[in-house]
Amino acid sequence: MGTFRQRIVESINNQTLQAALDANTERRLKGRAAAFESIPDWRERRQRAHNIRADVIEHLDEYLHQFIAKNEANGVIVHRAKDANEAIEIVLRISNIESRKPLIAKSKSMVSEEIELNHHLEKHGINVVETDLGEYIVQLRKEKPSHIITPAAHLKKEQVAQLFHEKLGIPYTEDIPTLTATARNVLREVFLTADIGLSGVNFGVAETGAVCIVTNEGNGRMVTTLPKTHIALMGMERLVPNLNDLALMLSLLPRSATGQKLTVYTQLLHTPQPNQTRHLIILDNGRSKLRNSPLKESLYCIRCGACLNACPIFRELSGHAYIGRDLSIAPYPGPIGSVISPGLLGENYVQLAQASSLCGACKDACPVDIDLPKLLTRVRAGQSLKDDGRQTMDDGAGLMWSTRFFLKAFARLATQPKLFALSQKFASFGSFILSPRSQWMRLPAFTGWGYSKDLPRFAGKTFRERFGNGKSEMVNRKVERQNVPDNDQQPPNVSTFKPVNLQEQFITELVALSGNVYQTDNVTQSIIEYLVSRDSTKIHLQPSVLDETLLRNAGIDVTYEADPGITVGVTKARVGLADTGSILEADEELLGSLLPEIHIAVLKSSDILPSLPDAMPLIQNKNAVFITGPSRTADIEMTLTIGVHGPKELHVFVDVSNSR
Amino acid sequence: MPPVQLFITCLTDSFFPQTGEAVVEILQRLGMDVEFAPDQTCCGQPQFNAGLRKDARAIAQHTIKVFEKTSGDIVTPSGSCAHHFRHNYLELFEGDAEWHPRAKALAGRVFEFTEYLVDKLHVTDLGARWDGLLTYHPSCHTLRGIHVDRQPRMLLQNVHGATLVDLPNAEECCGFGGVMSVEHPELSAEWLKRKIYNLEASQSPTLVVTDAGCLMHIAGGLHRLGKKRQIIHIAEVLNQR
Repeated sequence: MGTFRQRIVESINNQTLQAALDANTERRLKGRAAAFESIPDWRERRQRAHNIRADVIEHLDEYLHQFIAKNEANGVIVHRAKDANEAIEIVLRISNIESRKPLIAKSKSMVSEEIELNHHLEKHGINVVETDLGEYIVQLRKEKPSHIITPAAHLKKEQVAQLFHEKLGIPYTEDIPTLTATARNVLREVFLTADIGLSGVNFGVAETGAVCIVTNEGNGRMVTTLPKTHIALMGMERLVPNLNDLALMLSLLPRSATGQKLTVYTQLLHTPQPNQTRHLIILDNGRSKLRNSPLKESLYCIRCGACLNACPIFRELSGHAYIGRDLSIAPYPGPIGSVISPGLLGENYVQLAQASSLCGACKDACPVDIDLPKLLTRVRAGQSLKDDGRQTMDDGAGLMWSTRFFLKAFARLATQPKLFALSQKFASFGSFILSPRSQWMRLPAFTGWGYSKDLPRFAGKTFRERFGNGKSEMVNRKVERQNVPDNDQQPPNVSTFKPVNLQEQFITELVALSGNVYQTDNVTQSIIEYLVSRDSTKIHLQPSVLDETLLRNAGIDVTYEADPGITVGVTKARVGLADTGSILEADEELLGSLLPEIHIAVLKSSDILPSLPDAMPLIQNKNAVFITGPSRTADIEMTLTIGVHGPKELHVFVDVSNSR
Repeated sequence: MPPVQLFITCLTDSFFPQTGEAVVEILQRLGMDVEFAPDQTCCGQPQFNAGLRKDARAIAQHTIKVFEKTSGDIVTPSGSCAHHFRHNYLELFEGDAEWHPRAKALAGRVFEFTEYLVDKLHVTDLGARWDGLLTYHPSCHTLRGIHVDRQPRMLLQNVHGATLVDLPNAEECCGFGGVMSVEHPELSAEWLKRKIYNLEASQSPTLVVTDAGCLMHIAGGLHRLGKKRQIIHIAEVLNQR
């Protein structure tokens, strides 16, 4: 127990860490609050999301069955892994290490942290490279992520600058865009040469088999598209029934995680690309056990990290201080981690649940309304499974012996009123002896209480003594009663309906995200003018999006093949989404928006839809991505930097020729 | 009219009896017949929160039996204890055919003090007088546990002579957290520091709370640091004439 406390003290005393954590907390809380303002019906959404997740966990076997059958029909090779070892074995088998050690490009996956996948792959000589900027930084530092959304939230930019200087050989610089560009260049090479792309899964859609992956930097798109083999690794509980439910979840996940209305790249993968093999590994690793335990509700979690940001404990500690009895860092930190780390991985992590004041900030922040304080008290009661499979249910877990002794003694008194009253007299007498001249007692630090505060002296005469025989003897002096207006209702869930101009809303949203929007009734001509202004003479063009004769006449060379050397890609946008400023691309559009630094999309003004759910019927069985602005990251000091792995610039040309 | 029962809480009983007297005086002034069941002790929340459910259950059964012998609403000057009755008692006896209904019956009778004044008695102005600034710390279980926030603020707004000023980051926990304050004193100390910093930033010499736990914790921290600010339970403010 001492060691967890030592780690806590180290974190508290680490000034650099505290500064980094304060910045992370403040920005995340503000960002989240602002993002939720745009959905005034969030309470209702949260309740619906809770019910959907409850239904999925209740009927998990049926949903999994449906999801797996769909994936197999879609040409995906599905594997089930009972535990970490089986999952690792499957990855090794796919990697076919006997013939050649593969290079694996990996995007973020908490499940891979849970099973310590990298560690095991490296043991077999496999080079696995993390491609999320934050994950890449912690991998270079040989650390574990300290936050499930922002893995390098514990670091200051000076530390990243020193790291890149030492490991990547660049001149020392604290300029965050330069650091980000360096990572882009190094990792671009990894994307283009990797044999295997490995990703996590944010949601699986049971009805269509879709695997949904969200990333801001664009690395998720790279690892799922470029290598010949894609392995998707998912926890077995991560399902939603259908695309409408997914749309609801996607209105809550990015808002809660990063304060965005939608993540930059929201991918829906159904079938493997031509010439690509896709493996889907569905991991149990304690989830079935958890599902049959009193901690079941923790499986509703959608891994947004909002409870970490809201938690005053996490704010002092960061993820690295959440350790088990064996000193290993828990894969999941924060309030949810203090439930699922012991829930999935056993007794080792039970002590984490004692570090909470049960203040409830986590429950308030949770987008699926998980009652985390209740679950924490269940872990404390010993209701997570013991390593030998037993459950004690009600006898305390992870408690110091002294606290346990005191509380048990107190419980004896509390059931015997006469003894209770007598012990109050003793306590009062004792405290007057200890502190005859002051109202306050100074207890030694080892008592816990005495560490930072004094204890008031017990009252000379308790309330029960003052009150007397159970009936008050005071004179009733009446005052007038007033009527109070009944304004205790929560704010109405119905948003005040205002008709909006979809095109204007789309433009406002996208421009706010550093996207560029042009309205034109001659798209080809406008794009030519733009290309000339940028000195671009060669573009990757999706067939029949622009008038190619005009392009050639203007001296612009057109190719249909993806080529990493080309800086401009022009594609069609199937639809736009007004409330998030997103565009939908699918199937043949996907390559043009992937590799080039500049992505130009052509969108018909009549194709702008109000919101994400309106676009879901168009998805059907396609591979699709909702693109919401240029690629971005905030992994270094929460500083927003535009342009990571995906395009650095997004230009949407809105074709208004039919709307006039 | 049925009497109103007082659940005084172990902390108020042992450390802050003057809070209890203020509650009694206010309720009596509103015409209530206040009763105090002398066999009551503690609600058992410390044991529950620590995970000692067997012990928490024993205390809960004792408390249920004590109040089954009484009639009327049960008022308590603690959002935390009210939360414990309302939520945790049901959790403790889940699936228990005998005790769950009894716990539920008790939970239905319990009200936090300010909630009772505003929502049940429909009183928002007690004619109280306090000259100067006041600021309010919403205790975690009052605010997020039983969603009582509007009520104490309304009552404080109507204190004559007082100006209610904002406490920065008011909704942050003060770090008491029952057993956490002794199991993890280092963490508790950090939050306490922050709460005191915010209190000083509010410029108010007086901090009002709805819970003896927070009161004891914040006041204890201020005393250790030799800082002169007053922490007071809302009942005592509302009882000032």
